[in-house]
Amino acid sequence: MANSLRLYLTCIRNTLEAAMCLQNFPCQEVERHNKPEVELKTSPELLLNPVLICRNEAEKCLIETSINSLRISLKVKQADELENILTKKFLRFLSMRAEAFQVLRRKPVQGYDISFLITNYHCEEMQKQKLIDFIVQFMEDIDKEISELKLSVNTRGRLVATEFLKQFI
Amino acid sequence: MAAVSVHQFAQCITCHAWSPDHSMIAFCPNNNEVHIYKMLEGKWEKIHVLQKHDQIVSGVDWSISSNRIVTVSHDRNSYVWSQEVTEWVPTLVILRLNRAALCVQWSPKENKFAVGSGAKTVCICYYEQENNWWVSKLIRKRHDSSVTSVAWHPNNILLATTSTDGKCRVFSTFIKGVDPRNSAGSSDSKFGEQIMQLDLSFSWAFGMKWSPSGNTLAYVGHNSMIYFVDDVGPSPSAQSVAFRDLPLRDVLFVSERMVIGVGFDCSPMVFTADKRGLWSFLRFLDEKKTSSSARHGSQFSETFGKFYGQSKYGSNDTGGTSRTRGGVHENCITSIVSLEKAGDTTVTTFSTSGLDGKIVIWDLEKQNDLLDYA
Repeated sequence: MANSLRLYLTCIRNTLEAAMCLQNFPCQEVERHNKPEVELKTSPELLLNPVLICRNEAEKCLIETSINSLRISLKVKQADELENILTKKFLRFLSMRAEAFQVLRRKPVQGYDISFLITNYHCEEMQKQKLIDFIVQFMEDIDKEISELKLSVNTRGRLVATEFLKQFI
Repeated sequence: MAAVSVHQFAQCITCHAWSPDHSMIAFCPNNNEVHIYKMLEGKWEKIHVLQKHDQIVSGVDWSISSNRIVTVSHDRNSYVWSQEVTEWVPTLVILRLNRAALCVQWSPKENKFAVGSGAKTVCICYYEQENNWWVSKLIRKRHDSSVTSVAWHPNNILLATTSTDGKCRVFSTFIKGVDPRNSAGSSDSKFGEQIMQLDLSFSWAFGMKWSPSGNTLAYVGHNSMIYFVDDVGPSPSAQSVAFRDLPLRDVLFVSERMVIGVGFDCSPMVFTADKRGLWSFLRFLDEKKTSSSARHGSQFSETFGKFYGQSKYGSNDTGGTSRTRGGVHENCITSIVSLEKAGDTTVTTFSTSGLDGKIVIWDLEKQNDLLDYA
């Protein structure tokens, strides 16, 4: 792993560790409701300052925290158009199956490629360390996966082109 | 190890309370019920289930002399349960709240109890003999956010509250006809009068307690700070102690000079005051081994494994757990309750419960370095 990626991920891991101090908290605006405050943003005093961690302009991670929920939004590196389209398709594929991931948000926050929403209920039934590991592992693997996809698209393109051009020999 | 006994009662425990003789325990297993367990022949047996609430129970307290249980819940209601022969009989308390109730505590004389709520109010409830019900009086328009914790001063009049607006406040709860005139000190203050407001924390304030004598007040902030307040009144003096670990959720005074704090770090922390009265963090009560986070070189397959529901709760991980905390609790500790016997001046045993569903009893007897502070 590249050194700068490791620093980036360590920074995110440490931030998540401090941010993931969530608790059950009923809504103070609506009777008998219990909703993630980070999504509703009804009471400003229940939100903490958002943290933005950037590796460079193209890769960043926004961590927004509230008393009972935490939102992590990622922007994945997209060097060219092919990577752009692959990232979009791949993350859309994941987002559409968000309920299987439990912590994945169906729609990314504007300006980001994918978002996670962790509530106090997730922290109650899952181990905090595993949740953090999952997010970090996801970030680690997403780049790898995209570049692998890109490679296979290129290989296939070359193969198809070769086959196609054979008829002219 | 200072932990004497560990018992896994449920998957997750929101609050717990002990019977007067400590033979029974009442706790909420993160749902709308309260379970009462009794120690029978060395084993915990479930003997009662209190079912009346219809949302998660957020607070429970068991009175020592009158043997009554009070429960509050996010459904805005509160019940006082009294034991009649073998059954627990509920009495509904009309709190007059329009938001969730968050915490509850009996007053030291057990003629009143206080309920903190998400409606930014505090209810003081007392029993009215002629009508045969519990009456609730509200302290309104004082808090700017939800009241997360309440604590009674030993004099039965002063009530301290913490709130998610980061402030700590002390109120007088003198109720005519319930409290005798000129009882202990501040008898001339009216009901709901604010004695003091502290604005020390920049973040939410949680759990608080008075010291056994009532001279010192301790509360915690979500910015990993603990605050100690002396001389409660018009000119209080306060000390803020910052520590490097995750924030605390609740505190307990063991003696005048020692405080145990519990919270997101899964291990109780000991704070002590030196001879001059300066507070500082001493150590973790639990031995804590921190192994460096092990990397498991699994590929994207793990993500997909999760996707297909194979490793849903991180149970079948690829061997190496990332960080074993080594402590007794595996998740955030949310409450700490003292197990003092009647007549004791200092607390030596206490219990903690948390999101991992364990109730752990701790004993300070064998902790030699802590004896000086007892």
